Amino acid sequence: MGRHRRPLFIVGFLIAPVTLYVVFVISPYLQAFQIALTNWRGISANPEYIGFENFARLVDDEVFWEAVRHHGVLLLALPLLTISIALVFAFLLNLGGGVRGGVMSGIWGSKFYRVVFFFPQVLAVAVVGVLFQAIYRPDDSGVLNGALIRLGLEPVGWLTEPSLAFWSILAVMVWQAVGFYVVLFSAGMAAIPGDVFEAAALDGAGRFRLFFSVTLPLLWDTLQVGWVYLGIAAFDGFALVQVLSVDRGGPENATTVLPLEIWKTAFSYTKFGYASAMGVALFFMTITFAALTLRVSRRERIEY
Amino acid sequence: MASIVLSNVDKIYAGGVKAVNDLNLEIKDGEFMVLVGPSGCGKSTALRMIAGLEDISGGEIAIGEKVVNHLPPKDRDIAMVFQNYALYPHMTVEENLAFGLKLRKMPKPEIQKRVNEAAKMLGLDQYLKRKPAALSGGQRQRVAMGRAIVREPQAFLMDEPLSNLDAKLRVSMRASLNTLHERLGVTTVYVTHDQVEAMTLGDRVCVLRDGLLQQVDTPQNLFDKPVNLFVAGFMGSPSMNFVTADLVRTDGGGAAVTFADISLPVPESTFTEKAGLDAYIGKQLILGIRPSDFEDAAAANGHSGTTGWARIPARAEVTEELGSEINVLFLIDAPPVEHKDTVAAKDADEDEETIPLAGDKSLWTSRVNARSHVRPGQNIELIVDTHNLHFFDSVSGLAIGHPANAGR
Repeated sequence: MGRHRRPLFIVGFLIAPVTLYVVFVISPYLQAFQIALTNWRGISANPEYIGFENFARLVDDEVFWEAVRHHGVLLLALPLLTISIALVFAFLLNLGGGVRGGVMSGIWGSKFYRVVFFFPQVLAVAVVGVLFQAIYRPDDSGVLNGALIRLGLEPVGWLTEPSLAFWSILAVMVWQAVGFYVVLFSAGMAAIPGDVFEAAALDGAGRFRLFFSVTLPLLWDTLQVGWVYLGIAAFDGFALVQVLSVDRGGPENATTVLPLEIWKTAFSYTKFGYASAMGVALFFMTITFAALTLRVSRRERIEY
Repeated sequence: MASIVLSNVDKIYAGGVKAVNDLNLEIKDGEFMVLVGPSGCGKSTALRMIAGLEDISGGEIAIGEKVVNHLPPKDRDIAMVFQNYALYPHMTVEENLAFGLKLRKMPKPEIQKRVNEAAKMLGLDQYLKRKPAALSGGQRQRVAMGRAIVREPQAFLMDEPLSNLDAKLRVSMRASLNTLHERLGVTTVYVTHDQVEAMTLGDRVCVLRDGLLQQVDTPQNLFDKPVNLFVAGFMGSPSMNFVTADLVRTDGGGAAVTFADISLPVPESTFTEKAGLDAYIGKQLILGIRPSDFEDAAAANGHSGTTGWARIPARAEVTEELGSEINVLFLIDAPPVEHKDTVAAKDADEDEETIPLAGDKSLWTSRVNARSHVRPGQNIELIVDTHNLHFFDSVSGLAIGHPANAGR
């Protein structure tokens, strides 16, 4: 290949993805920035520029801050719960059974559980929402309340109790995500040489020690990947809240999230300018999170 | 320190594969025992059963007179060195060494003392704060050794610990292993596929094949008195030359083995040493000659006259000059021995046959003194030390007259 043809070659490869990215990602973002400075209501051909008024209104918007607070909680709780549960499951599935037949293996029946854990992952979010509506139903036809009533207890308003609704939905998010991370961490554990575990077993490590002193540190890289994925997922939650919550984000905005607020503001209240301002705010939150995790989680790579 | 006794130990994998078959082995207190054999012979499985990393399908393993069949690895008080070292990559050398002691709730000062002692012994002092990734292969190997040493266990188990090192380092590590064993005197079981390692390290060597014990003896005895064709072919490098030969009475009243157009006299002393050999007179057997029992007649004038040395004229096909010695490869006008034992031993050997064999000829190797200066294509007169001929039954492959084979 001639020297002058090298750039041509690179451009040839880049042109399609860059075009797609610019048209469908960059340009909508830029447009959102632009619309955020207007009072556009979706009809006018020449929306009026109102400067940073939309952003000023955001500062005093209670619902907006409620949604942001939810993202804050999600950002902490979703990765923490999902990763902890997935780690325990992955450990039991892959290493919990100790050495059997010369290789580390999982507890009895681990092949079956592997399939069961991954099952939620293959369900569409809307299906999961409908499924859990049935589980959380307030009367005795709900799976949980039916059981409670039969035990002679008061039924619980899983989705109608403002203090509980958010956690009910968080539980569904965790339930749905765990399977994927079990698979991810299983792959990570499979990459750790088996003789390291054997050496630890000979050194006197029990299951507990094996997990905390050997498995966990060696899985750190995979764990970080999981944390970033889940952190980004914590800025979403639109579909599940939309399907599952009462009054879309209710009761009393107790379960609302930013994407849902943006959607409502834009398409229900037709305040596109204001919705775009929220979108811009969400964009900066996501970017900040991504930049922070990349900085904080930088750590020396483990080599075997 | 303790002895390790394996009695009738079996290992049967799912699917009925018998990896270890009725193994009986007594490793004495403080002994350096090497398990050697081609890959798949069950040597690693046997070691891992002693360690407790594999279940025992049958029989009994005792460490220090305590049956350990159902004890988990950590309660067997043994330390193992793995082929890939199995260091904890996220810990420094110091933490790697201390990990096992920490888990055993040893007081801090004692841990520090033992770690420092081991580090000094292995020359690891200046690397204590490093992670394994920042160490060379030889250093990692020493850390793996150190991790075993600090534990001060009843026995060391080593699973091909030197096989990932380059040739030169392997030789020097072999020497340090020897001195280390002398200094610590801990019972050691060492697994290797390399018969040179086995010969140089072992107080005794145990040769395994297909899960069956072949022979346990000192390295020299294995070399001089192999119990069967497999051991004869496996131990020693270059490996022993074999040919199917006839044992006959000569006119003079003596005996000789004949093959191709060669006849080698068999000294009378051989018949007294190898009981039962005279029963083979007039029959076929397999003759084995070590390459080192050859010499170049021209370069070794002194020997040629004395009794017990016979001459074989040969044409050097290939010569391998090793500096102090020359391996001379030559053809014998007799078909190669196709016994299951020699084939198995050959597969395990690393050097491949260099020339495609022309018809029914077998390629023999002789090791002669470098003074010989023989070049490929030259004719050479080789002399053979007929006192060191090895005879094997052509059906069973057992060494004729070996005490272990009496009555078999």
